[in-house]
Amino acid sequence: MTNVLVAALVGNGAVSGAVLDLLGGAADLAAQTGGQVTVAALGPGAARCASALISHGADLVLTCEEDALATHPGEAGALALVAASQATGATVILFPADTSGRDWAPRLAYRLGAGLVTDVTGWAEADGRLVWSRLVFGGKAEAKMASRRPVTIATVKPGAAKARRPDPERTGEARDLGLTITPDPAWPQVLETAVEQSSGPKLEEAKVIVSGGRGLGGPENFRYLAQLGAVLGAAVGASRAAVDEGWVPATWQIGQTGKAVAPDLYIAVGISGASQHLVGCSRSKVIVAINTDPDAPIFEHARLGLVGDYKEVLPTLTEALKEMLQK
Amino acid sequence: MHVVVLIKQVLDPEIPARAFRVDRLLQVPNVDRAPYVMSVFDGNALEVALKLREAKGGDVKITAVSLGPKGAEEMLRKALALTADAAVLINAEANSMDSMGKAKLLAAAIRTLDAVDLILAGRQAADWEAGQVGVMVAEELGLPCVPFVSRINPDGGSLKLRRELDDGYQTIRLPGPAVLTITNDETNVLRSAKVKDVMMAARKPLTTLSPADLGFSGEAAADPAIETLDLTVPEPRKRAEMIEGENLQAGARALARRLLELGAL
Ligand SMILES: Cc1cc2nc3c(=O)[nH]c(=O)nc-3n(C[C@H](O)[C@H](O)[C@H](O)COP(=O)(O)OP(=O)(O)OC[C@H]3O[C@@H](n4cnc5c(N)ncnc54)[C@H](O)[C@@H]3O)c2cc1C
Repeated sequence: MTNVLVAALVGNGAVSGAVLDLLGGAADLAAQTGGQVTVAALGPGAARCASALISHGADLVLTCEEDALATHPGEAGALALVAASQATGATVILFPADTSGRDWAPRLAYRLGAGLVTDVTGWAEADGRLVWSRLVFGGKAEAKMASRRPVTIATVKPGAAKARRPDPERTGEARDLGLTITPDPAWPQVLETAVEQSSGPKLEEAKVIVSGGRGLGGPENFRYLAQLGAVLGAAVGASRAAVDEGWVPATWQIGQTGKAVAPDLYIAVGISGASQHLVGCSRSKVIVAINTDPDAPIFEHARLGLVGDYKEVLPTLTEALKEMLQK
Repeated sequence: MHVVVLIKQVLDPEIPARAFRVDRLLQVPNVDRAPYVMSVFDGNALEVALKLREAKGGDVKITAVSLGPKGAEEMLRKALALTADAAVLINAEANSMDSMGKAKLLAAAIRTLDAVDLILAGRQAADWEAGQVGVMVAEELGLPCVPFVSRINPDGGSLKLRRELDDGYQTIRLPGPAVLTITNDETNVLRSAKVKDVMMAARKPLTTLSPADLGFSGEAAADPAIETLDLTVPEPRKRAEMIEGENLQAGARALARRLLELGAL
């Protein structure tokens, strides 16, 4: 019997799609073995998520709404997670592979003496063990790994699991962990959280993404992408090189260490196609590459390719698509 | 102020995918004449330390610490040329160790150094990409930890950090000693070394320690928490359908038509 714990940071009573996907995967894993699924929902407002979590497959929701989770998330979260793990006796603990999951998972693994596999893209049962897949060497190789400890923790990439359809009839229990967390004066303290506002769709949710790299040559040239993006209702993304140049914010970065996206259409402009970038966009249905170098590796991964200077290609492409879509 | 930067030597992550092979039996990469480099985020961490020293008017000692083979000395010399003050190599075959084992060795080496105020590590190494060691070093030393920091600014007696989030960033006050893991932004791209500093680097202290010097025997590698069952390289994909036209404008229009045909919009 595998009891599974899903750990999630909840902001203002809202559960992210990534957490619901993970919960779907956890519910399947537990169901195969007759185990239970618990969600540890951490953060002010967590209790308000309980019914959504239960309808999506949680048997038990353990909440902790201490303010310290917002002001001192790393240290306070680790305490709450140890308590939740002990309360459930879970042998598999799943985190979304986001900033908080990647922060908490190693702390919890250390404190529980658990085996930790990060950034997993999938898992399967083989010979009575769970085998975890993950990309290594910047996406150039795939490793299969297994834990040699009684408790296994994984951080899970988007796309590895799918949310269940919510069942409003489903019943489950929700209770507070009953933990009081008083921040230690030595703990790092959050003074301010700035959430980026963008006018268009979010990268994680966009159906179309236009993405720019070092080949754009400067920050002002992202306007070519914005113009195409406006016609297609697209979000604009970037390679790490464009972020490192200071042309666009770090939150635009797509790739191994940026966002993992899965749009219907991904248009890569002036991006060479390093494996670390492709890892982030390989789940796109159609990848289009526009690049001056016919030997750029991106053409080995794209569905459609066009060799040429984007400054000449994009204005015509934008006009043509505008006309065709109006018809 | 004493800042330790943890740096790892890795197979050059810019090796193109088409040249990348693995030895499936040994579960290691198998690339001809493979260059080894400082892992990229560790370079960002070193740059953050150098910027902090500049912001504090020079009063920051930087020690670079690495766990790895003898060959990693070359990378540590590079860190010294980039004006780190001292370097320590824990000379051990780290591949078979798990993250916890590595964190314990690194923490033991840090304990041998003069009072350390801050420990910086890259958010993840560019080879196995686990992203565990920095946080586990904090656990082992009983220190607080802030992952995904891109900038550090002195603020009176304490430090202010910028931590990158998935959808924005946070400003964090750091009251005392901690471990930070560093992620990239435009302010922390690693600089190049100056010629005169490269020459100076040869005279700076580079200490080599063995696990035994730190009180460890073979056990660090004996019982890893995670085992690798297989390491494979995915099949190469089919080359893109290349759109052509009399000129780029015609090509662009052909591309637009093809996108609609494919139902991609
Ligand atoms: C640990 C690690 C993690 C990483 N994580 C990421 C990540 O998450 N995301 C990421 O993107 N990268 C990541 N990288 C970096 C990655 O290895 C590459 O360095 C980076 O993706 C290159 O960005 P680029 O394609 O924009 O730049 P380049 O490789 O410099 O490519 C620029 C391209 O633009 C083309 N070009 C130039 N001019 C024009 C023009 N006028 N019109 C059209 N095309 C033009 C060129 O032919 C070239 O192909 C990571 C690296 C490491 C080591």
